Amino acid sequence: MGDYKFAKTKLAEVIGAMSDYQVVAPVESGEVVRFAVVDDPAKVTLEFSNTNVPPKELMFPETETLFRFRLGGTDLEPEVPDAAARRAVFGIRPCDAMAYTIVEKLYNWDFPDPYFNNRREATTLVGYACAEPCANCFCPSLGGGPGSEKGLDSIAFDLGDTMYLKTLTDKGEELVKALGGVLESAGEAEARAAAKQVEEAEGKIRRSIDTEGIAEHLPELYGHPFWEQFSDRCLSCGICTFLCPTCHCFDIQDESEGLDARRARMWDTCMFSEYSLHASGHNPRPTRKERTCNRVSHKYSFFPTNFDAIACVGCGRCINYCPVNIDLLDILEKSKQADAKEAQDA
Amino acid sequence: MVDESKLREKAAEVLAREDVRRLIGWKRGTYGFEAAPCVIKDASEAEALIFDPTCVQNPASFITLEEKKPVPRGQEADTRKIAVMVKGCDSRAIVQQLVEKAYDRDHVIVLGIPCLGVIDRRKAAALFGDVASQVSAKVDAEKVAVDVGGDVKTVDRKDILMDKCLRCRYPNPLVYDELLADEVEKWAGDEFADVGEFEGQSPEEKWAFWEEQFSKCIRCYSCRNVCPMCYCVECVVTKLQPQWTRRATDISENTVYHIQRAWHLAGRCIECMECQRVCPVDIPIMTLNRKLTRDVKEMFEYEPGVDVEAQPLLASYNPQDPEDFIM
Amino acid sequence: MMDDTNPYLPYTAKILEAWFETPGDRCIKTFKVSFEDEKVRDTWSHRPGQCAMVGRLGTGESMFCISSSPTEEGYLRFSIMRAGKNTAALHELEAGDTMTVRGPLGNSFPVEEWEGKNIITIGGGIGQAPLRPVINYIRANKDSYGDLTVLYGARTSEDHCFKGEFEEFFSEGTTCHLSVDVEEEKWPHFVGFVPTLLMEVSPSPDNAIAVTCGPPVMINFVVQNLEKLGFAPEQIYTTLEERMKCGIGKCGRCNIGNLYVCKDGPVFSYATLKKIPEAFA
Repeated sequence: MGDYKFAKTKLAEVIGAMSDYQVVAPVESGEVVRFAVVDDPAKVTLEFSNTNVPPKELMFPETETLFRFRLGGTDLEPEVPDAAARRAVFGIRPCDAMAYTIVEKLYNWDFPDPYFNNRREATTLVGYACAEPCANCFCPSLGGGPGSEKGLDSIAFDLGDTMYLKTLTDKGEELVKALGGVLESAGEAEARAAAKQVEEAEGKIRRSIDTEGIAEHLPELYGHPFWEQFSDRCLSCGICTFLCPTCHCFDIQDESEGLDARRARMWDTCMFSEYSLHASGHNPRPTRKERTCNRVSHKYSFFPTNFDAIACVGCGRCINYCPVNIDLLDILEKSKQADAKEAQDA
Repeated sequence: MVDESKLREKAAEVLAREDVRRLIGWKRGTYGFEAAPCVIKDASEAEALIFDPTCVQNPASFITLEEKKPVPRGQEADTRKIAVMVKGCDSRAIVQQLVEKAYDRDHVIVLGIPCLGVIDRRKAAALFGDVASQVSAKVDAEKVAVDVGGDVKTVDRKDILMDKCLRCRYPNPLVYDELLADEVEKWAGDEFADVGEFEGQSPEEKWAFWEEQFSKCIRCYSCRNVCPMCYCVECVVTKLQPQWTRRATDISENTVYHIQRAWHLAGRCIECMECQRVCPVDIPIMTLNRKLTRDVKEMFEYEPGVDVEAQPLLASYNPQDPEDFIM
Repeated sequence: MMDDTNPYLPYTAKILEAWFETPGDRCIKTFKVSFEDEKVRDTWSHRPGQCAMVGRLGTGESMFCISSSPTEEGYLRFSIMRAGKNTAALHELEAGDTMTVRGPLGNSFPVEEWEGKNIITIGGGIGQAPLRPVINYIRANKDSYGDLTVLYGARTSEDHCFKGEFEEFFSEGTTCHLSVDVEEEKWPHFVGFVPTLLMEVSPSPDNAIAVTCGPPVMINFVVQNLEKLGFAPEQIYTTLEERMKCGIGKCGRCNIGNLYVCKDGPVFSYATLKKIPEAFA
């Protein structure tokens, strides 16, 4: 595909030229950077390592209407996003884009999910390669990397004064065409600089995990006492899962305002006790121990068993934001030492 | 400063007792400025315990967080005590929990640690960036010495300690069975300058501020779950029958959630600031709580979490109580 | 059968009849329903053991097994115990009202594989609801199966579901053993828990399949006793329930290990469940 570039000072102009698209990009609001629909191209920032809240919300919003109805009526008005709408997401990190390629497997087994699928189809993803990985990044362990192209339609590299843009798919190329003449063509020099930057960034990644054998071993550790060294201090809050780009669980609730009502789905988390609580009062995962075990096992064993992909991209958010330092990599390393026999005895 | 070897010795001694089930303290975290709350069950694990200015979490939160499975027929419930290490601010949570009769005084063994302040991770990030290696620190009345992988840097207290520490009135634990170090001198007063400053804004400015802040909320409930005073068995915001707050995240429901929580903490918040520390989207939750704390103090001359013998504010009536705020 | 473009959209069904099976706080009400849309009515098909999300617009939906057999034509039946918000709202409905049905969902009992075998069903309380379609399917296809033995118990005789139907079994010669947990006047059948009843009846494992459903504790003991009687794990089937929201393997909460009860279940052989330690949690 094509190689393009633009001066970094022209960022707002480039964003502004995407007027055929609804543009979503990192914007600072209330001291945090988050992906949002861009109303003013000047507000787009590239000064972030990664957003606190992952852009999974672009395909799977925090709260999303499934359909509307009138209380007492039976007619349903589905609110399915338009797959033909054109949306450009600018500045998504490679790990977050790779996450879409993982969760879309779940959204398409047995029953394709039109809400996720249509949003995904309508979207052109312009990635933003990482030059400075965070302390807890470990994307290469999961098959990603600072310059990973997985799930992306094009990828941008910050080469100092110049942004180098490499298109990867027809969709990516189409977006470039829609920009008119704002971009210049790039060549070997930029490609080489980008490759060098990726290599250097990879060298700066300090954490890793060897995933070999974990998927087979984790289910043997159900009930194992080793979970308690983590779950005993777990707050049972939703940070690790809500901020996870691959966590995809949701609740469905009916809401009404007068007679106008909707059925909506919203992020939910297996770390809340009420998540698995039966109406009878029985809870199959009654304590933080079972819930911690389920969260980690789901990512590193159940999901790979079902979809041949680990439900983790190594973005490090669950480690960065856990208020009690429950460190996923620490859990995984310790799980390797845990003896399955002790789980049966427990 | 507490001597860590003495702290470990004491912990091992307490854990060796037959009537003690677990001890909650701190250990070194896996990276950077992180410490981790640490729940240990055996005296042999006491070696992991630490105390330094990275020990920011409030161990009192974990006393009421524990979920117990139903006791199988024929077995007896484990009623052994919980030992807990606390800083001055943490101890106020225990005082308030006792005032509210969350548990009996002899359910806990409190090991008090006089404290000169703990590190604010956000301030630390501004100074040191994204630190991967484990950090330890020392603090005195003037400075904080931060050790990043052997490289020691000295920082001004105000540049790195949490705001609560800069205005701390209770550096020494207010309830304890044993104090693990000599008491420290109180160094500050709290004039609620931050509250005054916020109040000085117009209603429009305030609303614009909170609208932006509450819009960010993802309702992960970490602020609620970390709060030592949020220990209701069933929280009003997650209750389904009747459902008072919707689960949808929008400005309306998020606002309801935060205002509701602030009101439920009126006269109860002990200002450990954990809610604000844990927020993954940096909502300044304490601004709400501190406004209520100051109002409660001014109107009712009441300060929660300082006197085990006190009555809960909202469970006591005094004919002299002001009534002019009742509409 | 589900709306092929959007699996979250339910169908509207009219309640033809509704009646209480049992009294009390956790009473069970049965609804006989028919789809309003003729096309749905004509194309609908399900298998014994399958489920559907049943609900009311404005309240929500919950997963229930379809308690009628595909051999019972012209309607679907759901027997619903009042437990939470959704079931309380459903219990308010009467004949003539509408409810929503989304399905059929999940797997089913492999009734074809069982042809030629003796079938034993062991139910407790509301656990008889998923067994009812199996029983009726086999009764309607008598010639393809060996002997059918029905074991069913509840706390008291009042707590038995489908009371009238057992009389039919007795009169048509289907072997049926009923029990109550505690002694009561004029009760002509067994007194004791269902696992004990099972040992009392002591069915032979030869060329047999045992299907059980009931409270988790009962299932546990029934499975243990079946193994004592010589049943191999492959000969034992049960249906599980977990909290569910989507019913289509996406919302996450109903997993046991890597299996989703809504999609990979609710029917599991004990041979499968044995490998999943959390299956009986």
